[in-house]
Amino acid sequence: MPAPPCTSCHAARAALRRPRSGQALCGACFCAAFEAEVLHTVLAGRLLPPNAVVAVGASGGKDSTVLAHVLRELSPRLGISLHLVAVDEGIGGYRDAALAAVKRQAARWELPLTIVAYADLFGGWTMDAVARSTAGSGRSRSCCTFCGVLRRRALEEGARRVGATHIVTGHNADDMAETVLMNFLRGDAGRLARGGGLGSPGEGGALPRCRPLQFASQKEVVLYAHFRRLDYFSEECVYAPEAFRGHARDLLKRLEAARPSAVLDLVHSAERLALVPAARPPRPGSCSRCGALASRDLCQACALLDGLNRGRPRLAIGKGRRGLGEEGPQGAPGDRAQPPASETIPAF
Amino acid sequence: MAAPLSVEVEFGGGAELLFDGVKKHQVTLPGQEEPWDIRNLLVWIKKNLLKERPELFIQGDSVRPGILVLINDADWELLGELDYQLQDQDTILFISTLHGG
Amino acid sequence: MCQVGENYGEPATEESQPAPRPGLDKTPVLDCKEGLPVVVIRAGDAFCSRDCFKAFYTHKFRAMLGKNRLIFPGEKVLLAWSGGPSSSSMVWQVLEGLSQDSAKRLRFVPGVIFVDEGAACGQSPEDRAKTLAEVKLILQTVGFPWYLVALEEVFGLPPAVLRCSAQEPAGTAGAYKAAVDSFLQQQHTPGTEGAEDSPSLAQQQGQLCQPPPQGPMGLQSPTGPPAAAQTEALSRLFHSVKTLTAKEELLQTLRTHLILHVARAHGYSKVMTGESCTRLAIKLMTNLALGRGAFLAWDTGFSDERHGDVVVVRPMRDHTLKEVAFYNHLFAVPSVFTPAIDTKAPEKASIHRLMEAFLLRLQTQFPSTVSTVYRTSEKLAKAPRDSHDTAHSEPRCLLCLCTLDVDGADSATAFGAQTSSHLSQMQPHTALAEAGMHPVPCCPPEVGSAQGCCRGPCERGDPRVCVLEWLCYGCRVNMKDLPSLDSLPPYILAEAQLRRQRAWVLQEVQEYLIADSDGEAETA
Repeated sequence: MPAPPCTSCHAARAALRRPRSGQALCGACFCAAFEAEVLHTVLAGRLLPPNAVVAVGASGGKDSTVLAHVLRELSPRLGISLHLVAVDEGIGGYRDAALAAVKRQAARWELPLTIVAYADLFGGWTMDAVARSTAGSGRSRSCCTFCGVLRRRALEEGARRVGATHIVTGHNADDMAETVLMNFLRGDAGRLARGGGLGSPGEGGALPRCRPLQFASQKEVVLYAHFRRLDYFSEECVYAPEAFRGHARDLLKRLEAARPSAVLDLVHSAERLALVPAARPPRPGSCSRCGALASRDLCQACALLDGLNRGRPRLAIGKGRRGLGEEGPQGAPGDRAQPPASETIPAF
Repeated sequence: MAAPLSVEVEFGGGAELLFDGVKKHQVTLPGQEEPWDIRNLLVWIKKNLLKERPELFIQGDSVRPGILVLINDADWELLGELDYQLQDQDTILFISTLHGG
Repeated sequence: MCQVGENYGEPATEESQPAPRPGLDKTPVLDCKEGLPVVVIRAGDAFCSRDCFKAFYTHKFRAMLGKNRLIFPGEKVLLAWSGGPSSSSMVWQVLEGLSQDSAKRLRFVPGVIFVDEGAACGQSPEDRAKTLAEVKLILQTVGFPWYLVALEEVFGLPPAVLRCSAQEPAGTAGAYKAAVDSFLQQQHTPGTEGAEDSPSLAQQQGQLCQPPPQGPMGLQSPTGPPAAAQTEALSRLFHSVKTLTAKEELLQTLRTHLILHVARAHGYSKVMTGESCTRLAIKLMTNLALGRGAFLAWDTGFSDERHGDVVVVRPMRDHTLKEVAFYNHLFAVPSVFTPAIDTKAPEKASIHRLMEAFLLRLQTQFPSTVSTVYRTSEKLAKAPRDSHDTAHSEPRCLLCLCTLDVDGADSATAFGAQTSSHLSQMQPHTALAEAGMHPVPCCPPEVGSAQGCCRGPCERGDPRVCVLEWLCYGCRVNMKDLPSLDSLPPYILAEAQLRRQRAWVLQEVQEYLIADSDGEAETA
């Protein structure tokens, strides 16, 4: 059974069938269509205005590698300048190899690169130190919670240092779809309310963030990287990912096999969800310590660091969040009625 | 009786971690009664190449969902998936989409 | 009444809350004098006697109807009965609720509709006849007016089924109270109770529906089998659908249209469906994966007002499948097994099957899964996000009758799923150039004329484009699995044509008006 000819150029043999349309395309036509679609996402959503200085959150993994490459291809047309910002979480063995990949990319594509380290930003706390500190809790999930919150903060900080006006991250359609599935399975209405849309406009002084690959499925991102011969780092973080996301991911892969457009259909659904007013999270205020957006007195990052510094790391996670900030060290009774921490893991 | 085949089996995107980190494997498939297809190639890989945690690579008689298969750089979906009959000098590439972001 | 566990509160009565739950961590300590436990519903909920469980079960049903106050006394309510356990249980709850000895009598006027889907599910005529005989036997026992409709009858539906009535469903608390009062007054007049107005029904039917394909829809009258040509057309339609996912959705759509038509034709203003909480959780997740995020509250909420004049109500939504199964078993509620379209299909064959299997499996690991999903669905709003008004004039999806959720300007998914084929068909460089040349296309080609912003008339004579432009995102994705839309029942195609003509006329008029005012401005 030979591969059919490409339905676009009719010259080359098709190399893949697109999940969204079922079309058979050759590698070159696929890559061109992929780039055109990212361009459309950026333009139609007015994500990155001309003259924007864009900080690309670079991890060395496939998504951020593809994002950086595509935006670099598109940057003359968009009139934007790019700056790679990598975060060094301080995870021995794992992060060094990933950062090496980012450095290679920066050199090859001649893009400026800035690396910000947790240790410098957060008073000496590396992820390895956090992990040791939370080890007693016996759950790897708390590790990912810390890392997610702190990485978001670190990226914001790095972007400011390089004078960026916008932040882009490599989240793809699969990430979005997994998240919406998880939010339903966990009954997390607060995050559902914020899950849709292409990004945050940057309220409260935060830099606007967006996800230009939000409509590209994981499969297409990987194939794009393959056909463009991009060199990326692919190794699982030593702190294993949250088990529950594994369930959602597994389900998503099955759904995709039954209906290739399922990933995008889920993203569409997530964009269109509407919550009753009572279920929407309250308008966030600002953190009393750092001024960032916060639904409580302290923003999530400051709350986590506060807990770490006081030797009670789990204080800021989930229900254990009682007793933070201005409240005394022990759980304050009045705090109970508040909604659960909606920022434990940032939506994005 | 199918003659022995020489094919290149390649792993990427993190899938190589299950194969001692080796990405490219030049292999010779022995002659056998029935023709070699992807289905029995997977069985052969499991027996001869896979070093650890087979469930992360093979589930049922196919690859784990989320692992892409490219035959001579074309998506196996275009070529009959498990039923594709291997030819001498084919390149079969398995890319995991499940690792890292 | 039974006592379950140590921290058990007051005994459950019909007026009180449903039976309180003992602590989930404890094995229930049963301390009932009446008998041994017979049912364990979820960890910790044990009911020692049949009566106890029955009170709990019935209370849930009544409470669901009571707290929503949507069904008025004397109102005609059509019970959609599939023969399956949940809807059978629902019919039985209504039957008991209407009986005289019941303390809190239900006061509405029920009818039952059964849709024979045999042709879509590939049943043989013999098997269908056998099923129908069983169905009729049960319907006769129940004694409500009933309608046995074959799915084939969709080929005789009028296009008007797809129009939403502008009529607002009445529903304020005041109106409800007034209706109760006037009903109670009527009750004192002898002779009116339970009067069957069959003649006027027949009249209504004559007015409302197009000439039915073969005789009237069977109101307590034996219907002959549907015409062979229609059976043939229906099975051809379903055979042509490429995926089980799209088949399931199509079946659901056609069934809904048919029930809606029968309800309207016979003056029913409410339709009750028997989805359990388990089923609704599965449906919610399934529809999420089908791109129906905007409509989840309609698809799974207690009431569904999308049709305007006929409101769909889901009174079984607090009951779990397990509760239903136990109740039906303990109280010998009859049900009819009919093969569904996905019976015996492998788990991975459709989004529906996958989601069902996934949730039920997760439920065994995390026993709160179904209820968590279900409770989250309660937090969804029926208005699309950031929409200011939900005027009735908004275009509705031709198939699911929800407001269209496809607009190119702000949603790149619509772009992704709908126009990427168009983009990638172009030469790579053209694709880039084109996207670059039109920085913000006002809408993707296929949506254009539906939204009326970029006047791209769909190619004349292409029914596919013509139908697609009137579909919501999810229904468009489904229709992709249908190679030819020509095999759809005629009323759908006819309504699409009508809408297109109307949109075209409207546009002409608007252009005329604009040109006119321009002219005036110039002369002035």
